[in-house]
Amino acid sequence: MVGPQYDLVGNPLGAVRATFERAAAAESGGHEPVAAFRGKDWGVGEVFRSFLFEQGGLDMIPVLDESNLGLIKPNTLVRFRGMVQDILGNEFYVGAFKDGSTWRTNKFSDSSPFSMPHPCDSHLWERHLFHCVPVPGQNHWTRESSPGPDLRKMSSCLTSEQREKRKRDAENDAMDVSENGSEETSSSSKKAKDDGVQISNSSLQMSMNEEHVPEMNGVDHHIPGSSFSCLVKVYDMPESQVKLNDVSEFIGVYTFDPELAAPSDNSDDIMFDLMEDVTAQLPPSKVPRLHCLVWRNLSAHDFLPRAPAVEPSPILLKSIRQSLLSHLTLILGKDELAAQCLLLHLLSRLRNKVNVVTVGRLSLNFTGFNRESVSIFGNQLNNLFQRLLPYSQTIPLSIEYLNTATLQPRKDNRSGRLVTGVLQLPQGTHLTFDETLLQSGSLTSKGVENTMLLKNLMESQKVEYDFEFYKLEMPTDVQLLTLSEGKSNILPSDLVVPFRPSSVPAVNVSSEELESWRWYLTTVRSLPQSTETETYQMIQDEMVSAMREDRSLGCSELSRWLTMAQITAASFGEKSLSMEHWQMVKELERLRKERLQ
Amino acid sequence: MAAATTKTVDFNAERALAKDFLNNFAGPRGEPKYLNILQDVANRKIRAVQIELDDLFHYKDSDDEFLQRVTENTKRYIGIFADAIDELMPESTEAYVVDEDRDILMTQRVDEGADGGADGTDPQQKMPPEIRREVYIKAFSKVTPLTIRQVKASNIGQLVKISGIVTRCSDVKPLMQVAVYTCEECGFEIYQEVTARVFMPLFECPSQRCKLNKAKGNLILQLRASKFLKFQEVKLQELAEHVPKGHIPRSLTVHLRGELTRKVAPGDVVEMSGIFLPMPYYGFRAMRAGLVADTYLEAMSITHFKKKYEEYELKGDEQEQIDRLAEDGDIYNKLARSLAPEIFGHEDVKKALLLLLVGAPHRKLTDGMKIRGDLHICLMGDPGVAKSQLLKHIINVAPRGVYTTGRGSSGVGLTAAVQKDPVTNEFVLEGGALVLADMGICAIDEFDKMEESDRTAIHEVMEQQTVSIAKAGITTSLNARTAVLAAANPAWGRYDMRRTPAENINLPPALLSRFDLLWLILDRADMEIDLEMARHVVHVHQNLESPALGAYISAARRVVPSVPRELEEYIATAYSSIRQEEAKSNAPHSYTTIRTLLSILRISIALARLRFSETVAQSDVDEALRLMQMSKYSLYSDDRQRSGLDAISDIYSILRDEAARTNSMDVRYAHALNLISRKGYSEAQLKECLEEYASLNVWQIHPNTFDIHFIDA
Repeated sequence: MVGPQYDLVGNPLGAVRATFERAAAAESGGHEPVAAFRGKDWGVGEVFRSFLFEQGGLDMIPVLDESNLGLIKPNTLVRFRGMVQDILGNEFYVGAFKDGSTWRTNKFSDSSPFSMPHPCDSHLWERHLFHCVPVPGQNHWTRESSPGPDLRKMSSCLTSEQREKRKRDAENDAMDVSENGSEETSSSSKKAKDDGVQISNSSLQMSMNEEHVPEMNGVDHHIPGSSFSCLVKVYDMPESQVKLNDVSEFIGVYTFDPELAAPSDNSDDIMFDLMEDVTAQLPPSKVPRLHCLVWRNLSAHDFLPRAPAVEPSPILLKSIRQSLLSHLTLILGKDELAAQCLLLHLLSRLRNKVNVVTVGRLSLNFTGFNRESVSIFGNQLNNLFQRLLPYSQTIPLSIEYLNTATLQPRKDNRSGRLVTGVLQLPQGTHLTFDETLLQSGSLTSKGVENTMLLKNLMESQKVEYDFEFYKLEMPTDVQLLTLSEGKSNILPSDLVVPFRPSSVPAVNVSSEELESWRWYLTTVRSLPQSTETETYQMIQDEMVSAMREDRSLGCSELSRWLTMAQITAASFGEKSLSMEHWQMVKELERLRKERLQ
Repeated sequence: MAAATTKTVDFNAERALAKDFLNNFAGPRGEPKYLNILQDVANRKIRAVQIELDDLFHYKDSDDEFLQRVTENTKRYIGIFADAIDELMPESTEAYVVDEDRDILMTQRVDEGADGGADGTDPQQKMPPEIRREVYIKAFSKVTPLTIRQVKASNIGQLVKISGIVTRCSDVKPLMQVAVYTCEECGFEIYQEVTARVFMPLFECPSQRCKLNKAKGNLILQLRASKFLKFQEVKLQELAEHVPKGHIPRSLTVHLRGELTRKVAPGDVVEMSGIFLPMPYYGFRAMRAGLVADTYLEAMSITHFKKKYEEYELKGDEQEQIDRLAEDGDIYNKLARSLAPEIFGHEDVKKALLLLLVGAPHRKLTDGMKIRGDLHICLMGDPGVAKSQLLKHIINVAPRGVYTTGRGSSGVGLTAAVQKDPVTNEFVLEGGALVLADMGICAIDEFDKMEESDRTAIHEVMEQQTVSIAKAGITTSLNARTAVLAAANPAWGRYDMRRTPAENINLPPALLSRFDLLWLILDRADMEIDLEMARHVVHVHQNLESPALGAYISAARRVVPSVPRELEEYIATAYSSIRQEEAKSNAPHSYTTIRTLLSILRISIALARLRFSETVAQSDVDEALRLMQMSKYSLYSDDRQRSGLDAISDIYSILRDEAARTNSMDVRYAHALNLISRKGYSEAQLKECLEEYASLNVWQIHPNTFDIHFIDA
């Protein structure tokens, strides 16, 4: 009954406050009416969830990104999709206070629309702060899946009347603050007071002239190549639901308060030299705030267009597999063996991991590349990855790169923030290393560190983050492909395939095909698998006889065969592994071994 | 402020309670603990009064609710205790040197005291007692500290205990606590207590005289008479082991005052108790920050601590898992197998490594001599037999482990180095890997490629467990109580069976003899192993789980088993028989010394620890001897051949010798099994031997118990 009477998109805070006041009034019989709301939702989440997901409100909400930052009105509902780059801890704020006889709330906002009486009954609540950035390596097609309404059209609706109103509000707020200030400082310091007011007024005017447009010119050194990031404040979330490097969609109130955006002036404030203040380092003038009402973690599925759900039947998957495989073969210059291996590689995912043991990964090394062939086939592969996978990146592995690049994310204890590195990646990223650029030369200590990091990533799917006094391992699930001249020793892959192209690729793909391939890759990677013990028994016997034929076989080869067989089964849409798939893998291995000789 | 107390508390009554406690609490020897402290404060010996909640808890008239109120509203109760202390403060009994300006002022004031009469009631003219003392409340010592992540909004105002690592420290700065002014008009001193970081100075004299005269006396701040408190700000960060998977460590600002300043440095792991408080913003900052309150911990006490196995904190259901594992009879084999599950086979090596993790307790003899409890193990083997992987895995399991290579990754090397600080030009001592692994495990890969200087130092580390430094005017000895796990490659690429291990690893025998167990890892191939390997691979793919290994080991390390008297004889016999065997052999290649005896003891004790047993059993000693035997077999080709070629007759001769030694015709089966397993034979081989010789009518086997009776020929 609450839903429709508010403009949830244009004035979400109105709904928040109205529902709160009603809930508080309902509780007022109790001894402490508001204490019950700490860390709890009083029903506002439900209002928004039903509006967004049941009444189709999601499509009306603009997506916040670099391009439309200046166009979105503050205090309206926005969506933001990004990766959690840093977890800044908890923030305590005055969640509720008593204004006369009514309780008011400040939840989901940076400032209160009502003046807070100075000494008043209030409650400190907490919220979680996440620093989110656009997903590293996110490919363009993923953005098309869920576009928001065109803002340029909407911005014309921003009437001058609304602007006037905002201006007045802002001025009122400023007044309140200075009143508070004067109360605090008791009396005699007239001078200090005047100064304070002047500063806030001038800064107010300054930002008013700029029409509330946050300036984006300052490049935040924490995110190389991108100056855009968003500070998301999440409420009432059980601990550890959102993790570092998670890709999530946050829907909430976008706030931008000019008075909070005033430049920091605490250089003379020597007492605060240790206080790492996120608001100072991520000034609202550069980093927008989002007070999150609803959030969800995104998986690869969420990037697919919301098509009618298709049952992943083996017949359908098989036909898509065939078309994808033939396309891969074309791209790889009619090298079918390489195409088969590439398909398995693209479908691999980390299934289990304990300490240093990983199950399910399949990193691939194509050998026989030189600079010319990389420019042909490498680029083709890259283009394909960019159009098929949600996140992909190419890393040119040269001596200079290894010696200079910042791969390792590092905690800067001075600023209290996590400085990102190339290897801070969301789960499911595809990385291509181009080793043909490598020449002989000497590595600096940083270069050695970087190679160690890459090797660790390859071998055990983890990246060590540097926290100055200790290192913390972050588990990853990254697919790794290496293109090199000979077998790469810096990056030891699970599967080494000599690449033998016989033609130069020239291929065109239709968007339908691309869409079906994307769907195929995502679906197959998430298929559950269960195999009977009998099959395992047979495979066990197969392994023993294989070992008797070839004494050089070790644990790692056998383990890889089993992984490949499991992926092969999945690639046909089968839920369980059969001997047929095992034989296919053995045949594949035989062909591969022939090439290696 | 937040969380206004729901019940109205009579603070006068609370003060009476506090006074009663301070007056009557008796220390361990019945002395009035707090009155003594107060006397020391009055005598200017100390400044801080630390009220321990432990004492409050043990106080005879203790009242749980009062205790509760103190922990939940600590800031207020510090005030109450301070008031109580001021009321109880005795006169000083010793003369002290008047050394501070305010002392002079105070004596003056005491002299003038009488004539101040009319204005005596004005609180701002009284000298605040803060000038003389500081009051802290220390949290319970037994409570498990919270992690920074567990400190929530509901903890505001409460006394909390947290653990963490110090990442940053500010300089120590003066913080005004009591501002003293003098009035130009009336000449009175005015005291202003400062409770926050920012304060508004007084400008008009509030004394009655000035007020009556409407003089608006001008106040002058007397910096020299004011009281300043040392103040330091510190950043505390969560410990790595407290960070949930996929998260990053949180940090917290801590304020240290007075006597607590300069107690920590960046990198220290500490436990602090303090009051969790919101920080009010002032001035412009308040406007910018809007409704946000920053929080900090006002420190009350600091304890440094070093993380050891024994302090491993059990998470969730780990205690249950340990109990379940401990009940399991086959725990030794099971845990050994769960070490490095991805590395197949090498069960005896894994058993040895498990024992290295568990270790034996250090012993200190009455004459001050120390006997190490850490086991040292050296793994040798051809390149590519997963030695490094084993090492890394062990480091992963050990709560405190350092992995390094013989070459060492930094200039500090393995032991320690004296380095010149580039900024101050002072020489500083920097610990190497072995020192960093103190009370843990140090895994050294490429042990054979060690620097010459480290090689000499490692002799000392492995037996005395210290690192001595005498360089650049610094002479010191650092603790390195670490178990060394070394891996070495053979000197000639592949292991040469015809040469001795010492020749093969190219390490001096003196160093090798310090290892309790040396192990040669070789790739062997036969049908049985192939099947095992296949089964292993499939198993890893099906279900991979990590048992509560770390938790189990840390629990086991708390046990201190003793060797019962009747076993001493047994061990001595076993030792002497090894010596005799060695003497018989024409080319002795093992160095059985008194160190070997100590090794046997250490391994046996570690085995007893694994069973959570307070005493070492004979089976432990037998297993220890078996492991040592296996380690020897792995090294010497002729021993291996002997064991491989003629196990049956060897078992026969062992049993025959035993019968001859004990001068009896009977050998019990269980005893026989012990004897042969010591030599590295299996039960199946024993059975085979028994059957074969029984058919030759050499002995009779009891049909039920399998006991052996020799038929004298």
